Amino acid sequence: MSNLTLTHAQLLDPSQKLKQLSDVIIENGLVTNITPVGESTSKGDKFDAHSALLIPGLIDLSAHISNVATETSAAAKGGISLVCTQPNSKPIIDTPADVSSIQQSSAAANNSQLLPLGALTQGLEGDQLANMHSLKQAGCIALSNARAPIKNALVLRRIMEYAATHDILIMLTAEDYDLSANGKMHEGPTANRLGLAGIAEVAETASLAQQLLLIELTGCRAHFSQISCGRSVEMIRSAQAEGLTVSADVAIANLMFTDEDVNGFDSTFHVQPPLRSEQDRQTLLAGVNDGILAICSNHQPKDIAAKKAPFAAAEAGMSILDSWLSMMLTLVQKGELELEMLVNASAILPAKVLGINAGIQIGQAANLVIVDTTTETCYSAEKLISTGKNSPVLGETLVGEVKLTMSGGREVFRA
Amino acid sequence: MTAIENLQLNAQGKLRHFLSIEGLNKNLLTEILDTAESFADVSEQNIKKFPLLRGKTIVNLFFENSTRTRATFELAATRLSADVLSMNIATSATSKGESLLDTIRNMEAMQVDMFVVRHSLSGAAHFIAEQVTPGVAIINAGDGRHAHPTQAMLDMLTIRRHKGSIEGKTVVIVGDILHSRVARSQIHALKTLGAKEIRVIGPATLVPKEMADLGANIYYDMEQGLAGADVVIMLRLQKERMSDALLPSEGEYFKLYGLTEEKLKLANKDAIVMHPGPINRGVEIDSAVADGEQSVILNQVSYGIAVRMAVMAMAMSGQASEQATQKNEENLSAEAQATGDDA
Repeated sequence: MSNLTLTHAQLLDPSQKLKQLSDVIIENGLVTNITPVGESTSKGDKFDAHSALLIPGLIDLSAHISNVATETSAAAKGGISLVCTQPNSKPIIDTPADVSSIQQSSAAANNSQLLPLGALTQGLEGDQLANMHSLKQAGCIALSNARAPIKNALVLRRIMEYAATHDILIMLTAEDYDLSANGKMHEGPTANRLGLAGIAEVAETASLAQQLLLIELTGCRAHFSQISCGRSVEMIRSAQAEGLTVSADVAIANLMFTDEDVNGFDSTFHVQPPLRSEQDRQTLLAGVNDGILAICSNHQPKDIAAKKAPFAAAEAGMSILDSWLSMMLTLVQKGELELEMLVNASAILPAKVLGINAGIQIGQAANLVIVDTTTETCYSAEKLISTGKNSPVLGETLVGEVKLTMSGGREVFRA
Repeated sequence: MTAIENLQLNAQGKLRHFLSIEGLNKNLLTEILDTAESFADVSEQNIKKFPLLRGKTIVNLFFENSTRTRATFELAATRLSADVLSMNIATSATSKGESLLDTIRNMEAMQVDMFVVRHSLSGAAHFIAEQVTPGVAIINAGDGRHAHPTQAMLDMLTIRRHKGSIEGKTVVIVGDILHSRVARSQIHALKTLGAKEIRVIGPATLVPKEMADLGANIYYDMEQGLAGADVVIMLRLQKERMSDALLPSEGEYFKLYGLTEEKLKLANKDAIVMHPGPINRGVEIDSAVADGEQSVILNQVSYGIAVRMAVMAMAMSGQASEQATQKNEENLSAEAQATGDDA
C-alpha cells in the first residue's frame, strides 16, 4: 500500500462536490486528507500534478479479458482502477473455482483490480441457472450472461426471482435474438446500401420492454449492459421514475461512432451491439449528460486474423482500455459530454451500480487517476498495451495523457 | 463511400478495380458502355479475339456456385487473350478451414494479374482489393447482397441498345429487392446514368424502406408500379424465402408479383422485359413473357461478355498505368538521391 502526497492537483469529484486545486494525502493506501493546495504537510513520496486533473479512478462495468496481466496493465495505464470482466472467457466463469482463478491472476498481476462477473446460466447456455449464490459467495460482485442469449422468458423470470432472493445484482443485455436475426450492423440506410444484414432497433427495445416488466414483477436489482438505441434511454428513464432498481450503461463506441462509420466495410467498426444512427448517438449522449447512463469500455481485444476478414465474417469487438479515457475526453473537447458527467458516468455511477464506495473520500482506499488533459497521446499499434490492436483510434492523436493511476490504495501506473 | 471510390480508381481517376457502381461517375460508366459496345460489335463478326491481355493471368475465384457468370467471365478473358484459371472454392480450400486471406495469398504467389471474385459475403471483393499486392486487379462478380456491378452494366448496355438511352427512362425492378445485389447495383447505375424514375416493386418483407435513400420509389402494388414503365426488370425468387417466413407461398407471390402478359400491358407498349437469370418460369415470370417479343433476356447474356471484356481491359490498363507512374516516380527519386538533388 502506498504512502503518497499528491500536490497541485485539479481535483474534480462531483460525488463529493469537490472541484478545486488540491493536495491529497494518501497513507497506507487510504486517503487521509484533502486540502486546498499548500495547506497540508506532505507525508511520504510526493507527486506534483502540475495542475493536471485528478478524478476518481475509472470503473469499467464491462470488458472481456483473457490475458489478465496484460489487459489489467493496459487498464492501469488507461486510468482505470477497477475492471469488471464478462464471464464469456475461456474457461467460462460459471463456478467458484473459475472466480478464484481470475482473482488469483489479478492479485498476481498487481495492476488495476479485476472483478470477475459470474455467469447467470451454466455454460452461458441460457437454460439452467448457474450456482448463483455460490458465485456471489466466491466474490462475484454481479452476475451476467455476457451477450449470450437467454431465449426462454421463464428462465429469465426464474433467474430474476433467484437473484432477488439472494440480493444478487444481475447484468443483462437487451437483444431479441430472433429479431436481430444474425444481423451484422444497425438496420438503416447504410446497412441497406452495403448489403449487410441489419439489426433493427426493435430487437433491443422489445427485449428491454419484456425484461423491464419481469424486473417489475420480481423486484430484482438489474443493470443493462451496452444499450445502443435512443429509445432504450427513455425506457430506462421511465422505469427508474416508476421506482424500479434498474441502471444501464452504453459502450463508448456507441457515443463516438455511428453506423456510417461502417462505410467501406471497415471491420474495426463491427461491434455488438451495433453502432446505430446519429440520432441514437445524440440521445445516448444526452442520457449520459443527464446522469441516466454509465459508460463502459466493452473492451474486446481480438487478434489480427479475427478482424482480417470481410465485415460479416470478422469477429465483433473493439480494443478500448488503453484509449477509453482519451476517447471520453475527446467527447468533452467536442462539447458533446460535460467533464463532470464523464466522471459521473465512468466512475461514480458504476460504483453506485456495483454498490461500492464512490469517489475520493477520506478514510477510503485511494482509487484515483491524474490525467493531463492538455497533452495529447498518439495511439499506434506498438504503443497499445492491450494484446488487441483492433482499436478504432489507431493512428489517431487524442487529448489526454494519464500520469498516475491508483487502484485499491496501490499505485498501479506512473508515467 | 469515399474509401470504396478511392480503392477502385487510380490517381488519374481511371478504373483499377471494379468493385461497385457506387462511387463511379457518369463519364466512367459511359466509357465502360462505349468500350463494351466496341467489343460487342466485333464479337458479332467472325474474329472474336483481341490481344489486349496477352500474357496476363486471370483467376476466377468463385466462392459461390455460378454457371453463367463464370462462363461469361471465362469467355471474356479468353477473348482478350489472357490465360484463365477457374477455381470453384465453394468445394475446395475454404471447406478445409483455410481463411479467405490465406486463399488469396496462395493464389497471389502464383503471379496472378487479376482476380474475378464471387463471394456470399457483402464486401468480400472490397476486402480482397484492400489486401492484394499493388498491381493486381479485382473484379467483383457478386458479393453477398452488396453489389454485382458487371451485371448492372450489362443491363445498362441492354437498355441503351434496345431503348436508345437510359436518360429519361422509367425503370421498374420487381421482386426480392432485399437480398438482391443486382438491384442495388442497378439502382446506382440507373441513377448515375440519368434514368427518369427508378421503381422497386414487391411486398414489404422483400423491399426495405431504405431503398428510398438510394433514390428508388417504392411500390407495393405491381399494377400501379408498372404504369408508364419503359423497362421491366424481374428478379429471381429463391425458394428459401418461403421457409424464412418472408412469403406465404410461390402461388400467392406469382399472383401478386409474377409478370404475366396481362400485367405487362400496363407498362408502356414498347417496354422491354429483362431478368438477370436464371429464370424461374411460373414463379416470377410467365413463360409467355420470358419468351415473348418484349423479352431481351437472352440478349443480356451475350452483352455480358462484352461488358466483362470492357471492365477487365480497363482495370488492367488502370493498374498498368499506375504501376508505370510509380516506377517513374521511384526512378526519379532514385536519380534525385544519386545526384543529391532535393527536388
